[in-house]
Amino acid sequence: MSGIYIHVPFCKSKCTYCDFASFPKEIGKTESYFACLYREIEGRGRQLKDKTFSTVYIGGGTPSVVPSKFIAGAIRQVKKFFNLTPNAEITIEINPGTVDADKIKEYKSVGINRFSIGLQTGYDDQLKRLNRVHTAKDFLLCMNLLKGENVSADVLLGLADQTLEQVLKTAELAIAGGVKHISAYALTPEVGTPIYTDYLNGELPSGDEVADLYDGLKEYLKRKGFNRYEVSNFALDGFESKHNLNYWMRGEYIGLGVSASSFIDGRRFTNTFSIDEYMNAIIYNKSPEISSDVIEGDDAEFEFIMLALRTRYGIDLAEFKKQFGVDLKEKYKDVLALKAEYINVTDKNITIKDDYLYVQNDIIMAFLRD
Amino acid sequence: MSVNQKKIRNFCIVAHIDHGKSTLADRLMEKTGQVSQRDMEEQLLDSMDLERERGITIKLTPVRMFYKAKDGEEYILNLIDTPGHVDFTYEVSRSLKACEGAILIVDATQGVQAQTLANAYLAIDNDLEIMPVINKMDLASARPDEAAEELENILGVDASDAPRISAKNGLNIEEVLEQVVTKIPAPNGDASAPLKALIFDSYYDNFKGVICFVRIVDGSVKVGTKIKTFMSDKEFVVTEVGVFAPKMSPKEDLSAGEVGYIAASIKSIEDTAVGDTITTVENPAKQPLDGYKKALPMVFSGVFPLDGSKFNDLKDALLKLKLNDAALSIEPDSSAALGFGFRCGFLGLLHMDVIQERIEREFDIDIITTAPSVSYKVYKTDGSMMIVENPTHLPPTTEIDYMEEPVISASIFTPPEYVGPIMELCQYKRGVYKDLIYLDKTRVEMKYVLPLNEIIYDFFDSLKSRTKGYASFDYDVAGYQKSELVKLDMLLNGDICDALSVIVHKDKAYERGRQIAEKLKDVIPRQMFEIPIQAAVGGKIIARETVKAFRKDVLAKCYGGDVTRKKKLLEKQKEGKKKMRSIGTVEIPSEAFISILKTDSDD
Repeated sequence: MSGIYIHVPFCKSKCTYCDFASFPKEIGKTESYFACLYREIEGRGRQLKDKTFSTVYIGGGTPSVVPSKFIAGAIRQVKKFFNLTPNAEITIEINPGTVDADKIKEYKSVGINRFSIGLQTGYDDQLKRLNRVHTAKDFLLCMNLLKGENVSADVLLGLADQTLEQVLKTAELAIAGGVKHISAYALTPEVGTPIYTDYLNGELPSGDEVADLYDGLKEYLKRKGFNRYEVSNFALDGFESKHNLNYWMRGEYIGLGVSASSFIDGRRFTNTFSIDEYMNAIIYNKSPEISSDVIEGDDAEFEFIMLALRTRYGIDLAEFKKQFGVDLKEKYKDVLALKAEYINVTDKNITIKDDYLYVQNDIIMAFLRD
Repeated sequence: MSVNQKKIRNFCIVAHIDHGKSTLADRLMEKTGQVSQRDMEEQLLDSMDLERERGITIKLTPVRMFYKAKDGEEYILNLIDTPGHVDFTYEVSRSLKACEGAILIVDATQGVQAQTLANAYLAIDNDLEIMPVINKMDLASARPDEAAEELENILGVDASDAPRISAKNGLNIEEVLEQVVTKIPAPNGDASAPLKALIFDSYYDNFKGVICFVRIVDGSVKVGTKIKTFMSDKEFVVTEVGVFAPKMSPKEDLSAGEVGYIAASIKSIEDTAVGDTITTVENPAKQPLDGYKKALPMVFSGVFPLDGSKFNDLKDALLKLKLNDAALSIEPDSSAALGFGFRCGFLGLLHMDVIQERIEREFDIDIITTAPSVSYKVYKTDGSMMIVENPTHLPPTTEIDYMEEPVISASIFTPPEYVGPIMELCQYKRGVYKDLIYLDKTRVEMKYVLPLNEIIYDFFDSLKSRTKGYASFDYDVAGYQKSELVKLDMLLNGDICDALSVIVHKDKAYERGRQIAEKLKDVIPRQMFEIPIQAAVGGKIIARETVKAFRKDVLAKCYGGDVTRKKKLLEKQKEGKKKMRSIGTVEIPSEAFISILKTDSDD
């Protein structure tokens, strides 16, 4: 199982917390960007013709701000040059207020079968403060267009003055709209983003307060049938994101477009974050990669552990042995003993106990070799 | 060719801290053309980073200058710098031994201060000619007449023709140099007598071996001379002699009256002791020079490497520091919590701070220092007495008949308006009032006997904050007195952490225990589990705090593009943890051990 990631580096306006490669001012370059992207898809597809892919994820930015013909073109190009399984999960990120019935129709016509909506919060004042372009009502209108579809919503925890009640109402709104999956991310103030100033000014809730919001939401979602299958992801049974699960299982993926990362044959590489640099590279048949690392030995093992322990499935011991040729229980005996209180160890797998998933760094770090 | 002693003046500068000693030294060097103003870094003599940062002088640095006096003759002026802090009185006395005179600086705005007195008396005790100088004439608040009067009234020094200078602006520096020549006597050693060279400082050079800073009292020494010291039997052949100009510059020989250095491929830093006398093997002197009064360490603390494998590096670092710091004492030590390390003795808290920082900066070894202790006398029920410098060595209470603690007699100089607050402070610190002397209308001397273990915490800081910095303080050891002392243990997650134990007065145990527990709560980071912090005396818990378990320590997102970055984040976080020490299951940052003495006990 392998995945394809396509990056669309455009949006209407930059959200205050966003540190992704997304450039509202460069939206005029959409047409030439996609021309280059198609070319990269073709080139990478030819290189990887021996591999089979079962998921596609179109992320951004806001992929839904560009005319849907470009998205449809990209999917067609992928299908043309990659071996994509017939029932592949194809996801697109969309924002309320940027889609209409025609767009949705065109997405579905090329096989897009999963939608990830950036709701963030159900409160308009908070949305405005985050510099989001939509309202709670836009979300409901959008859900109306997606009736019966496999939809996920993103919500944010840890906004200024956010209460648990607000978080739960937001979840209630999403569920009422018909989502089958919720990603609940603790807001991470990154240096250089406007919200970092709020953080420095002490306007954002403390870690303990965020943990309260998280715990409350987790309980609420459980009652609604949404099970936590990863630190920040909750789904009704059968609606887990296959594309994302592949990341956490340390499967292979190819990233296409600006800033996209790939992991193929043990090599992790990332494209340039600049649209112009990217287009120049593609036009002149140069590599758009700006970094490339072969991950081996303890580093590879650590990545596997770090990623797997994020999920409720944990480390698959047989898979670990198959990939690295070593018995994890033997090699990391000391770590398992040191952290025994916080983990479940069976013959098949190792997971972090439910109560400690949100304080997992300390456990994971123990696996880092000096 | 030996130098005419009559043309040499060996002198030092003594002053209260911040009265302008280093600045004057800089001006003297500049005036004598030793360094051009352009090349000159601020305060050249303070060569250690640490000194520069703190604005204090710790190590001695000699420098040689040439000065053409008004009598038309050229003189060699050897200036030996001295440290200014009370902790370093011992080093001051070392440099005084190498001089015939001392420039005594007084700040024209502050007048005579505690260390002006202490250092002046030291100089007088060493038979030095005192040459007063009144500094800071550039300040509007300068009152030189009053300062001169104080010098005469308090010290009995004739200050009528004391140069009134501004070291900062270079005012009247010429007059200082002239008086050094006319007022300070020339050395009067015997150049043809057997060699007697006083080692007043030394350090280790990786290429030349031990470099001894010497004052030649009698005789002479040159490259090839076979030398030995009075305290060790070993013989060495001199490989280099020279003077400080101000950097070390080699010279053919050194003879009576001169100040310079000797290198003789001395490999072991233990073979030369500061205060020892060097003589020749062929024609040895019969008697060594008067050594120094041995400085006794007053404050003891455990010094452990953060990384246990650095034990030998730490040992080398301490031995090298000890080479030119006779007051530092070192003994191997071990702790259940911290592993192998050393029990070190220091002159005071500043000395301890300085040594600690030098180990970290100059030798790049991260260390943990435990709470300082003093040296207690424990009289046991079996009639024997033991000295305890380390709280963990205190015998069980059932074996103790009684204990004695060291006390000091303190002189506190202050403007009269702060007498009340100082009395309160001294009372709080278990001080016994002895005397109150009105020196003049602006200055009072208060005398107290205080337990040393109350002084080593934050006495100096408290004194400064209660008197807006006006009071100064000096002390002498004053023996031992019987006292009701107990061992205060700290328990982390239920286990005693021996490195955090302190010996305190029984009446202070509850308060200290509570303060330390609160302090530990602040410095110990939250971990996966709740950590109870308890203070206990004799098994009885007297205070408790809790470090709550952390609730969120997770990377919110980790998708395809995040893996490398997130891994680096975790690596960084783990690196940060290396600065911590595991005590049982609890991780403690190294500064926790020292922070417990920074409890603000009188608020």
